[in-house]
Amino acid sequence: MSETEENPPLRVMVVDDHPMWRDAVERDLVAAGHDVVAVAADGREALARFPAARPDVVVLDLQIPAPDGVEVTTQVVAQDPDVKVLVLSASGEQADVLAAVKAGATGYLVKSASREDLLAAVRRVAQGDPVFTPGLAGLVLGEFQRISDAPTPDPAQPRLTERETEVLKMVAKGLSYRQIAERLVLSHRTVQNHVQNTLTKLQMHNRVELTRYAIEQGLDAD
Amino acid sequence: MSSSPAAVAVQDRLFRALAVLRVIVLANAVALNLYRWGHYRHPVAVAACVTVMVLWTGLATWLYADPRRRTRLLLGADLAIALALLVATPLVKGSGFHATVPGFWVMAALLAWSIQYRWAGGLVAGLLLASVDLSLRPEIRQSDYGNAFLLVIGGPIVGFMCASLQEMAADREVAERAAAMAAERARLARVVHDGVLQVLALVQRRGRELGGEAGELGRLAGEQERELRTLIRAQEAVTPTPADTVDLVSELSRLERSGSVTVSTPAAPVELPAAAGRELLAAVRACLDNVRVHVGDDAPAWVLVQAFPDRIEVSVRDDGPGIPPGRLEQAAAQGRLGVIGSIRGRIADLGGSAQLVTGSGGTEWELVVPREAPGLP
Repeated sequence: MSETEENPPLRVMVVDDHPMWRDAVERDLVAAGHDVVAVAADGREALARFPAARPDVVVLDLQIPAPDGVEVTTQVVAQDPDVKVLVLSASGEQADVLAAVKAGATGYLVKSASREDLLAAVRRVAQGDPVFTPGLAGLVLGEFQRISDAPTPDPAQPRLTERETEVLKMVAKGLSYRQIAERLVLSHRTVQNHVQNTLTKLQMHNRVELTRYAIEQGLDAD
Repeated sequence: MSSSPAAVAVQDRLFRALAVLRVIVLANAVALNLYRWGHYRHPVAVAACVTVMVLWTGLATWLYADPRRRTRLLLGADLAIALALLVATPLVKGSGFHATVPGFWVMAALLAWSIQYRWAGGLVAGLLLASVDLSLRPEIRQSDYGNAFLLVIGGPIVGFMCASLQEMAADREVAERAAAMAAERARLARVVHDGVLQVLALVQRRGRELGGEAGELGRLAGEQERELRTLIRAQEAVTPTPADTVDLVSELSRLERSGSVTVSTPAAPVELPAAAGRELLAAVRACLDNVRVHVGDDAPAWVLVQAFPDRIEVSVRDDGPGIPPGRLEQAAAQGRLGVIGSIRGRIADLGGSAQLVTGSGGTEWELVVPREAPGLP
């Protein structure tokens, strides 16, 4: 693929409370020619250093001292909607991963992934491609099903198209984008777009829910 | 007698309620005595009795407010005063009285005994008050008997309920403490697991980079890391479900195998009646066994669970070479459709359908089961 040839260095921030991990990830990123513009050991440091560092990608461990990874994701995406958050989690707790994705993360990788997988994932999320695992696709499918099962469906809520559901289902069944493109007679790019749309809609839904919650609780006054 | 903080808190509440009741029955007694003032033989003595009631109501309310002051002496004095006022009635009102001076006010002492000494205390106080009341009367009318009967029966009932409330509060306290401990244990376990996983993942990564013996160590660390992650996931998915249902999410998560079987599910539990759930699980296991037999021991397979309002869909897919065309028909003709037949049969019994799609892109089972399974075997 062309993306490995033309490699503009990326500005990356690494957030992890485990110093050996932080160093290992930083070393790999630097070795691959990227610019590690900031590191942080907890959520407080991460939020303090983020505005000045202006990274393209935040490589984020979810289990960090407060504020946790989900909260950090929410805050950095609110400050800079263009930043990409790649979640790198050791335990991969389902609820946390789904919460981080709803908050705006576009990639998820378990820590045992190889250095090559990590570098490829950083590159892909920077280009705006979501990095999905079948497990994450299953969670997202379940979440949309939950939304559409609601007793009083809200027309303002984003919904998946049939095609998007179909693609997401195939990701959850372990098919690669290439296999999906072949089966559906689509371009690789189109498959990527469909996957990306599902995440965008999920995050939109999350914002709609949060806004409604804020209005109901009367928090919208300020 | 239970003295757990929760039981004492229940008693505190009940004595606070009793304080209010004491004032109400006092007001009632004072009003009735004023109303009948003209008929008394010794109005000054009646006034003295009423004054005793007013003073004792105030003093008792203060004394009962603190658990340390609720001694036998206080309870005894409370009941003794109520009895003394009953005994005084024929002396101050004359023997032909209908209503006693304290009237319903005696119930305050009775209920205090019920709260403090439970049903036995209520019974003793009720019997004493009732027998003294009846023994003073020259003739016992229907309503006198009724009131006495209510005292005797009401004391133990209220006492029994106080005891039950205290036991329930104590049980709840124990349960709450256990839940808090379990939550704290789970939090600690998460921290420990996360630390272990971090190190295992790091060893795996560095080992891979160093190669040689370190590489082997890294591989072992990687295996353990995946095993532990699978275990944590299965444990996380354990949710309390009613006895007659199973949660497919937690059950199917157990089938996940590091490096080969991936299970994708919704975040929330998916419940099916136990019998249907067991059949569906058995069918999924048979599908996975089929993958191991026909594609390979460590062949990757993917399980996807989707829950719809009316049905559950489970898909089991592999990346194998697929079943050659005609192979199934041939097997069917020879009556050798063992595994496939059993998968189809199990799902059909649940009123669902099992579809097999095979080709060069692998083999996929689509199992669809209605959520309300008709006619279970």
